[in-house]
Amino acid sequence: MDFISSLAIWQWLIVLAVPPAVVALYFLKLRRQPLEVPSTYLWKKSIEDLHVNSLWQRIRQNLLLYLQLLVLGLIILALFRPGWRSQNLKNKRHIFLLDHSASMNASDVAPSRLLEAKRQALAMIDAMGSGDSGMVVSFSDIARVEQGFTENKRDLHRAVANIKASNRPTALDEALRTVVGMSKSGREPGNLAGRVGSSADEDQKPEAPPTTLYILSDGKFPPVQGLSLRTLEPKFIPIGHSNAINLSIVAFGVRRNEQHEGRWQAFGSVQNFGEEAVTTHVELSHNGNKIDASQVTVQPGDTAGVAFDLTEGESGILEMQITHDDVLHEDNRAWVAVNSSRKPKVLLVTDGNEALEMALATSRARELAETTTAKPEVLNTKEHQQAASSGSYDLIIFDRCRPIRSPRANTVYIGALPPSPLDEATEITANAKSLNDSEKSARGADTPIPERWWSFGPRLENPQVIDLNRSHPLMQWLDMGDVELIEGRLVLVPPGGTTLLESTQGPILAIAPRAGFEDVVMGFEINGVNQDGNRSVNTNWPIRSSFPSFIFAALSYLGGNNGAAAGASVKPGQPLMLKSELPVDQLEVHTPQGARLTAHRGKAGSFQFSSTEALGPYEIYEGSKVIERFTVNLFDPLESSIRPAKDGSIQIGIETVQGTVGYEPVRRETWKWLLLAGLVVLLLEWYIYHRRVYV
Amino acid sequence: MATAETSLLSPKLLAQLEKLELVSRKIFRGRMKGERRSKRKGQSVEFADFRSYVPGDDLRFIDWNTYARLDRLFLKLFLEEEDLHFYALIDASSSMGFGTPTKLEYARQLAGALSFIGLIRGDRVRIETLGQSPRTPGPVLRGRRSMWRMMEYLSGLQPGESISLAQGAKNFFARNSGKGILLLISDLMDKTGYETALRYLVSQQMDVYIVQVLSTEEIDPDIQGDLKLIDCEDADIAEITASAPLIARYKRTLNAFIDDARIFCTRRGMNYLLARNDVPVEQLVSGYLRQRGMVK
Repeated sequence: MDFISSLAIWQWLIVLAVPPAVVALYFLKLRRQPLEVPSTYLWKKSIEDLHVNSLWQRIRQNLLLYLQLLVLGLIILALFRPGWRSQNLKNKRHIFLLDHSASMNASDVAPSRLLEAKRQALAMIDAMGSGDSGMVVSFSDIARVEQGFTENKRDLHRAVANIKASNRPTALDEALRTVVGMSKSGREPGNLAGRVGSSADEDQKPEAPPTTLYILSDGKFPPVQGLSLRTLEPKFIPIGHSNAINLSIVAFGVRRNEQHEGRWQAFGSVQNFGEEAVTTHVELSHNGNKIDASQVTVQPGDTAGVAFDLTEGESGILEMQITHDDVLHEDNRAWVAVNSSRKPKVLLVTDGNEALEMALATSRARELAETTTAKPEVLNTKEHQQAASSGSYDLIIFDRCRPIRSPRANTVYIGALPPSPLDEATEITANAKSLNDSEKSARGADTPIPERWWSFGPRLENPQVIDLNRSHPLMQWLDMGDVELIEGRLVLVPPGGTTLLESTQGPILAIAPRAGFEDVVMGFEINGVNQDGNRSVNTNWPIRSSFPSFIFAALSYLGGNNGAAAGASVKPGQPLMLKSELPVDQLEVHTPQGARLTAHRGKAGSFQFSSTEALGPYEIYEGSKVIERFTVNLFDPLESSIRPAKDGSIQIGIETVQGTVGYEPVRRETWKWLLLAGLVVLLLEWYIYHRRVYV
Repeated sequence: MATAETSLLSPKLLAQLEKLELVSRKIFRGRMKGERRSKRKGQSVEFADFRSYVPGDDLRFIDWNTYARLDRLFLKLFLEEEDLHFYALIDASSSMGFGTPTKLEYARQLAGALSFIGLIRGDRVRIETLGQSPRTPGPVLRGRRSMWRMMEYLSGLQPGESISLAQGAKNFFARNSGKGILLLISDLMDKTGYETALRYLVSQQMDVYIVQVLSTEEIDPDIQGDLKLIDCEDADIAEITASAPLIARYKRTLNAFIDDARIFCTRRGMNYLLARNDVPVEQLVSGYLRQRGMVK
């Protein structure tokens, strides 16, 4: 508590002379008229009867004086401007950006980093001055505006309280783009709808007032590139201890044991994010029953592998758990689903391709997939169209032919192009009168038509293969240097596509996504038809070892068979495409918490499921039968490495934001309250003065 | 003298008083024979009763005729005529100087009136104030001729004595040991209390009359505003804000005070009478005192 004199010395002298003057006036005012009486005996007795005791009587007689002196005292104290250094927020607008990613669940700051961040955010909201407005945004790998700009602290409190812990990874970019857009557009609560970003008339808008952006996080996210914060003043408030240690399972899987036929192997990787070597027990459970255990020592910053040999057991859930007690528990357990193996269904549509049929008929290919062959005429049959549109096939290979509509499956087109969505739309519009809405939707009537679609460029004579994309799983193990082509077509790839094989003139093999599926287009035929209409060989590829390898890779990658019965494992929040051979419209998914969610069949025929927030095993039911399992694991070294950002700073664009406390010292004054108290006392004095007439 | 007489007792009042006499309810021995028949049996011409002779009795009162007839000794008793001692004790403290007429003036009138009755009946009358010096007791008066001395004495009384009721009563009995009627005229406004003084009076086996004189200003005060009340006797100060509720409370206190005094006196066989200074003395004597049996 300190004081600031608000008056000059001579003014103080005048002010300090007031209380004695009041006392003098009080006694003058109380100078009673003397009156001689025979006896004061009865009068005194009456006054005694009137009041409980003489002490109170004396006090009451001077109560008004005391109250008046109290009022003066409060006013004089207010003139001294008493106050104290307090912590207050600087600007008038504040954005509170709270990280609720997986690493914020660490308990190195009791009870957890997220709760500490919320506590600090609430304290800063409380420190907001009158007229200040605030916004609350939570972020992990996605951003969510919990509360737009408002002056209502209660709403801000509620918004902060509503932020829940998650297991998602962290990415600050989206959150920053959101808040930059909202702050520069000056959008106020109640008008949150609309596209974030610049608008046409933005330049005419007045510059948004200075806004402080408080980032409450452990800073465990990649540097933000190419973003300007404009009028936002970032303040990074690091949460967490720099000496926090964590041991994490960063990988866990199951596969066939290559040395022992019929045996399986579960393998995992444990990483030590601390500064000391740690020895921990690793336990393996199958459907909740412990089946094996091991011990592993992990050096600081290093990763140690652990493997368990398994006899091929029933389908279910394998769980690996480390017993080391650290500050982040979410990454101490990992799951892998073992599904009853299901061979992908592959359809080859050709009017005859010996090389292709032979490659698909090998024992290895039969292990990988269940292949059926059909003539191109089948494409016009209703049965095939229904099967293709219901997702019965995992992969369809079209050899020199193409369907009317793209099937709900991955495809390989050899010497042909996938049907354009524009053609499909025209065809659907033509038949619109005979279709109901559900059919329209099923046929992709409202599928957005891309600006560019697959097309063939000019015919190429003897194109030379000069490059292939080895980073793609389809081309990973291939050597195409000895492959010769007689002729081909240049493949023009739609946006988002990837060139797999490059000739001297351009791409001749490419892959591109299509509504949850992938299409591979080969610009050259394997067996061509010459001008006489006879078959002819177009390439020597089938007699090269790379051809069956490509076919096996296609069966594995596009058929969805990874060679093991392990179910899919995704990261928290990552969407998943589920498949069903049966023509059902919805699947039931049981989450690790026991919730029952429904996945509906999407336009692409597959079932989109994105409620993968919780870590653990998920089971997919078709009716009352479990048809598949998949798991959600953290497996994120960036989240598991829970030591706060290096040097307590974060990088936003070209700006380095040093970690700081969120407050800036501000002097809080109490003169308003003192004057208010003085007014209350004055009212009390007035009341007592008037009451005295009647007592 | 004439001035004193007329100022104290009007001719009309004197004429009324001529017809009255003081009455005592107690038997007491006077020093001189008066004009009244005493309740004591003694020597007079008026026969009262016979009583059996007991050794030691005066043989002169034996009724020999009865002895001759009954052969037993009887004493013949006669009503004895005795004089009555009448004491008027006046409170002449400063507080008695208030009112119109002043309470002391009223007390002088009342004491004068009753003393006059005693004088014309041959009673022994003594008028004193509470603060009377023991060495200079008040005059002892007897007979109509002493009236002027009485008037002179009463006229000379001035308020201003500073003595408590108890001390005054003590001093009074130190000077006077005779029995008779005692009339105390006071406002009883003694901060040390009147109870001790009245107990003294009761202990002396006298026929005690207490007349509490209060002025109209005391009974119904007409004051307002913030006042500093100064006690005229001890200069004690009471600061009050004279509001209607306070006046009402004062009146309740006064009534309680009067009731307490009345009850106190009645329980101890004393006659209590409240006299307001706006009630004429004639009305008090011929009315209230007659009803109470002090005069007949």
